[in-house]
Amino acid sequence: MTLTESFVAQGPIADAVRDGVLPGRVWLYSNYHCNLACSYCLTESSPRSERRELTAEQMIAVAEQSKELGFTALGITGGEPFLLPWLPDAVLEMVKSLPLVLLNNGTLFVGDRLERAAKLAHPDIALQISLDSHLSDINDMARGPENFAKVVASVPRLIERGVRVRIATTTGGPLDSAHLDPLKALVASWGVRAEDHLVRPIVRRGRADELGLGVHAIARDIPSELCITADGAFWGSFGPTVSNGRLDTDLLLTRTILPLSVPANALLAAVSGMPEGADAALGIR
Amino acid sequence: MSRVELLDASTAPLPAQQYFANGDPGPIVAALATVPELLGPALGFVGPALSAGATGVRAKEFAILRTSALQGCTYCIHAHTTVSLDVGLTTDEVRALRGELPLEDGFPSPKERALIGWIDALAGATGPIPDDVWTQARAHWGEHDLVEISVAVGATMFLNRFATGFQLPTAPHVLDRLAAEGLS
Repeated sequence: MTLTESFVAQGPIADAVRDGVLPGRVWLYSNYHCNLACSYCLTESSPRSERRELTAEQMIAVAEQSKELGFTALGITGGEPFLLPWLPDAVLEMVKSLPLVLLNNGTLFVGDRLERAAKLAHPDIALQISLDSHLSDINDMARGPENFAKVVASVPRLIERGVRVRIATTTGGPLDSAHLDPLKALVASWGVRAEDHLVRPIVRRGRADELGLGVHAIARDIPSELCITADGAFWGSFGPTVSNGRLDTDLLLTRTILPLSVPANALLAAVSGMPEGADAALGIR
Repeated sequence: MSRVELLDASTAPLPAQQYFANGDPGPIVAALATVPELLGPALGFVGPALSAGATGVRAKEFAILRTSALQGCTYCIHAHTTVSLDVGLTTDEVRALRGELPLEDGFPSPKERALIGWIDALAGATGPIPDDVWTQARAHWGEHDLVEISVAVGATMFLNRFATGFQLPTAPHVLDRLAAEGLS
């Protein structure tokens, strides 16, 4: 057994994660800009968004300190993380600390970007790609022209290169079997396991709120995962939303992001005031 | 118009929401809330520093109002003019602390003038404080009193620069009160 494998985190955060008081995953918003402008985007991301990036050094430090504190997994989202050319190399450093899932829109995997992404073929890395329907017109209505075609082309390319792919479907309401079954079949046809296909509701924050889409959510509806951004640390990956061009601060925990113990302790204090299991009702994940 | 966004109950970060539970907590809290990890420590310092403590509310208001006047903080002068009146200072005492009357007119007591002299030396000047100012203050006040008053001066100077820098607005009801008292 190596020193790394034998590491057992100690302290209040480790205890809280071990006891199920805190979720084990720490999220990072690598950036806010995106090549798409989806109708339900929590962060109003688009090609014109202010970039607001974490640096590679910050992301690696968050990963290392997450492990030291006792968190058990990482998640990266944006914006579109793969717009950052240095991201795959940073991810390979981060996964030395903890397993991670990397959310992306699956539209950029051609040429050099595909080969950079292929470096992420690793048992502890999953690329979670958004796909909302098996019908291109329905999918593209929310996510933009040609999105469906790009995603269905990208997923097999990644899988062929050994990259683990998860699919996330975001819905405005419950999907009936006429819509869900063909989508599941499409996802399964790529070899993606059923447990790697996530179906979740649109959360009515950010741009979705402006358009009246999705479910209302307050803090207790949102998993209390620590979420790190260039603007500070938030309660949950649905916390650092943007409405009418302004950052929503209602789920802000701290402006300090490092050392990670500062926001982690603030999250633990906030969670301690919440009723047990209160975040399970809406199926937000 | 404040230079920074003044958060309210709907925009207050989670750790700050307790301060908004009973209504508008005022612009200092509403501005500090944008960095929620500072709110608790800042208020945890300012609260005790400016409370009556062992020296009493009258001496503390000397420190707060006089320091605010020396620092030229409109928001704090407004707020603590009304507080000073509420805790029993006379209009002349308030005017003297605000620098609108000679100190001797407002404060015939050598003990109180010695304390204000210490406050003036801390908040109205830079560099070393002359021995005679300390000696006069110590002749009337215990060391612990002067420590307390000095902490109150420091806390007030922090709030003075915070409120002045961000142009925090005086509440309308305070402006109305000042007008009614002839102390605008």
